[in-house]
Amino acid sequence: MSIVNKFKQSLSARIVTYVLTLCILLFVLSLSGFYFFSKHRIEEMTYRNAEILTENTVMQTEAILAPIMKIADNYKWMITRMINHPDTFMDLTRQIVAQNPEIIGSAIAFTPNYFKDKGLYFSPYSYRDGDSIRSIQLGNENYEYFVMDWYQIPMSIQQPYWSEPYYDEGGGNALMTTYSVPVYLDSNGKEIIVAILTMDLPLDRFTEMVSSLKILETGYASVLSRNGTFVTHPNKELIMNQTIFSYAKEKNNPELREIGRDMQRNKSGFVSSTLDGIERVMYYAPLPSSNWTLAVLFPKSEMYLPLRSISIILLIVIIIGLGLLTVIIARIITRQLSPLHHFATSARDVAKGNFNIILPDIHTQDEMRELHDAFEYMQHNLVHYIQTLKDTTSAKEKIESELRIAREIQMGMIPKTFPPFPSRKEIEQFAVLIPAKEVGGDLYDYFIHEEKLYFIIGDVSGKGIPASLLMAVTRSLFRTVSLHYNTAAEIMAGLNRSLSENNESNMFVTLFLGLLDLRTGMLEYCNAGHNPPLLIEKTSSYFSVIPNLPLGLYEDFEFKQQSYQLNAGSTLFLYTDGITEAENGEQVLYGEERLLAFLSEKEFATPQLLIEGVLEDVTHHVAHAPQSDDMTMLAITFVGGQEKYEKSITLINEIQQIPILYEFIEGVGHDLGLEDALVLKLNLALEEAVSNVILYAYPKEPGKKIVVSVSLKGSDLIFTVTDSGIPFDPTLSENPNLELSAEERPIGGLGIYLIKQIMNEVTYSRIHDINIFTMKKKI
Amino acid sequence: MTSRIVRLFVILFSCGSLSAQMPEVVFMPHWLPQAQFAGYYVAQEKGFYEEAGIKVKIVHPSASIMPTESLLSGKVDVISLFLVTAMTTVGNGAEMVNIAQMSQNSALLFVTKKSKNIKTIQELSGKKIGIWKSGFDEIPKSLVNSLNIKVTWVPILSSINMFMLDGVDAMTVMWYNEYDQIINAGYNSEELNTFFFSRHGCNMPEDGLYCLKNTYNTRKQDLRKFAEASLKGWEYAETHPEETIEIVLEVMKKNHIPTNYAHQQWMLEKVLELMKPPLEKGNKGYLSEITYEKAAKKLLSNGFLKSITPYSEFFKPVLSFKNDDQ
Repeated sequence: MSIVNKFKQSLSARIVTYVLTLCILLFVLSLSGFYFFSKHRIEEMTYRNAEILTENTVMQTEAILAPIMKIADNYKWMITRMINHPDTFMDLTRQIVAQNPEIIGSAIAFTPNYFKDKGLYFSPYSYRDGDSIRSIQLGNENYEYFVMDWYQIPMSIQQPYWSEPYYDEGGGNALMTTYSVPVYLDSNGKEIIVAILTMDLPLDRFTEMVSSLKILETGYASVLSRNGTFVTHPNKELIMNQTIFSYAKEKNNPELREIGRDMQRNKSGFVSSTLDGIERVMYYAPLPSSNWTLAVLFPKSEMYLPLRSISIILLIVIIIGLGLLTVIIARIITRQLSPLHHFATSARDVAKGNFNIILPDIHTQDEMRELHDAFEYMQHNLVHYIQTLKDTTSAKEKIESELRIAREIQMGMIPKTFPPFPSRKEIEQFAVLIPAKEVGGDLYDYFIHEEKLYFIIGDVSGKGIPASLLMAVTRSLFRTVSLHYNTAAEIMAGLNRSLSENNESNMFVTLFLGLLDLRTGMLEYCNAGHNPPLLIEKTSSYFSVIPNLPLGLYEDFEFKQQSYQLNAGSTLFLYTDGITEAENGEQVLYGEERLLAFLSEKEFATPQLLIEGVLEDVTHHVAHAPQSDDMTMLAITFVGGQEKYEKSITLINEIQQIPILYEFIEGVGHDLGLEDALVLKLNLALEEAVSNVILYAYPKEPGKKIVVSVSLKGSDLIFTVTDSGIPFDPTLSENPNLELSAEERPIGGLGIYLIKQIMNEVTYSRIHDINIFTMKKKI
Repeated sequence: MTSRIVRLFVILFSCGSLSAQMPEVVFMPHWLPQAQFAGYYVAQEKGFYEEAGIKVKIVHPSASIMPTESLLSGKVDVISLFLVTAMTTVGNGAEMVNIAQMSQNSALLFVTKKSKNIKTIQELSGKKIGIWKSGFDEIPKSLVNSLNIKVTWVPILSSINMFMLDGVDAMTVMWYNEYDQIINAGYNSEELNTFFFSRHGCNMPEDGLYCLKNTYNTRKQDLRKFAEASLKGWEYAETHPEETIEIVLEVMKKNHIPTNYAHQQWMLEKVLELMKPPLEKGNKGYLSEITYEKAAKKLLSNGFLKSITPYSEFFKPVLSFKNDDQ
């Protein structure tokens, strides 16, 4: 099973994953928060530390340098006091060296020829040589101290001067610096410099102090002189050889040069710069007494070393923790959820009908217990419910079967044979009733009485059995009441009275009643609150109706009737509101407008096609929405009242029968009031047709039947000659050669020619061994 | 490093016996070891002198041992000197001749801080100018004299600290040396005003090789070999500056002289520039009569010389030149 599948199928896997993801997210957030906060703090602390360290070191180094300045100041004063006793100065220098162990040499170098008798270079100098102190005159021709920095600079700038560090004369690696102060003397009210007092200070203690400084792993301190010369540095090569500026040039690091210049301006502060390919942080501060600079440097990355190790440890702890968490959570959840699996199995068993399965034991008092109790409850109830369901189902089945029977009975009341009156060519009609429930409240009915078609379409209020019962009553009443009254309004009033009586349940019926004179097409109708029918002629329109009131509401209501002359070919389309109020899924009604539009657009050959067309359109509209009401449609096409004439005669195949045919044709002519000339012509044609059959259809078979029938359809008078003789299609005969004598012409040829001359249309067909020869004549 | 040691050994041992027979030339440059004399160290280190058939010993001056005295006392055979220093020395009667004029241009300049607001050389009037106590003062003083201004000369031993701390308003410096020291002490070139002597009618050649007249007469071949091999050293230095600087630094380290690569690089670059003859077709190591006369007149007019030694007496070239009519 793949992980994805496991994830999809296992609740515990999902919970573990979610919990784990959340935990990781929280850890990542808190760890990065910790990291960045700590990083910031460490940076701050390291910087602060570096700053403090630098400031402390500055103070400590100052503690070496500053006392020298104080000592010099003291002795300076003594020199002015003893200026008239030059021979004491050598002792004074000895005293300075002797009393100040940190000083290893001291000179009092007078300006040239200051003491007339002491020569050009009077400069008593004492210096430490091992444990003893030696004293000499410093200046001579080979040591013209007047051009030395230690003398010349304080003399020129008239200020004390710390010399640039230098190596001891002895040649050793001992670094020295000399502090020189000018000694002033009042000369005629003017302060003039008479000598320079110097004190030589070895820098070993100073450099040791600075070199011993440590910051982080490889951080170090360095002192630079005023000119930027390295006085101390872990890289001995740099000491006294390089200035920060030459070093910057060598390393091609202009930034470092600028830092050096800032140092010379006695600035202090943090800078970070890349030195030897490593990003370093530097804090520098001036040594106030000498204008030298102390700098503390450390690689930036080292700041974060402790943080990195803490983070790694933390990360390992978190990973292990997450691992443990995963295992523990997985165990707990799996254990907690394990009854679910049993419940699932139990549910499947219950579904199979095994209600007595044993549920898993739950000892906790939690949701799982609740589920168990609910399951148990369901188990018990299901047994009861299934029994009830069985009973209900059998009861329902019984009702359903009864309903089915009721429906059959109801449907039996509704005429369903089409065409209902096959012999009545004046009308064509078709109807459907589709109940919404097993039995419905819609109805339609019709019958013919005395050349009149009585028809109704109606809708009983409500649905189901009560509606169907009232529908049955209405239909029965229609059949009986109609025969007792002459007009539609009277019939409707009669129906209303009967239905209103004892109408306890206040049910009512909408009904459209029509009486169509089949001979004339005159329609007499009365509407009792029903949907107005549609009249489909060349154009379609709703029938103008007086609505009146539905039946069964007011016993004495006076119904008003209307009449309309139907033209031949007109169709009356009646329907119940089940059609126009058919709803689709969006509760949009099919509507009268759509019905009208549909019927206006399309032409249908027969009422059946018309109804099927409408039904299809409604079904299309409704789509899958359930049918809510009975749908009933009735369509009646008035073909024409003229085709009221029909007559036939049966002859046998004897030539003597021809006079009977004459008599029959004349009778027709009389019946229809035809002109004599036309009757004569019809006689001629039919004689030819019938004699053809008599002579050839049944060779040597006397006594066979020939049926001649006539009917009037519109202005067409249609004659049909049928026989069951040998197949013969007279229409296929060639036109006769009129040049030939009668005897010479082939049999029958002239007769057909004659018939075609007289009649407008001649057709032949053979159906079921019967020759049907039809002749049509417009009159 | 190893290869250098091996080479030293080879030189020491292979030449040990040979060098005994080789004539020795003791050479003293007129200052402490630095790139100013790179060519000689390179010639020594690369064995050009041995190749030429001489053994050369380079010794350096100190506070008590000066080049001229050493030469006159016969302790050394060849020294290097500034032209004008040599001319005044010869003018004072020293029996010394120039055998090759290595530097062809002046490296001298006055430098002031821009903050001193000295924009033209005339504005040095009344100012304190630092100058080496140990000599080389003839040309600066001549130049100032020629400008008709008065300045206060402040003799300085060698450091730039007087200048740095405003003990002087201006300082006489060498383009290849002190000027760069000032830069390496934190001053930017744009913060300094410079007055090059060469642009004020004082483009005097500087470093030249000198020996006693007697030495010239008796050891002309050895001197020629020395000068030629030295020039070869200089040519090598020009084409191999990095190696040259390393050689110089090594020599300086041995002599405990603090320095650094950047400064010696600058110095070598500038010294090599100064060695280029001002005229395109000029010869290296040549001292033209015009230059000599010009310098002599300047010294004479400023009282550094009492009389002019004839050019032919002063310049005794040991090198051969492309065309002698320069």
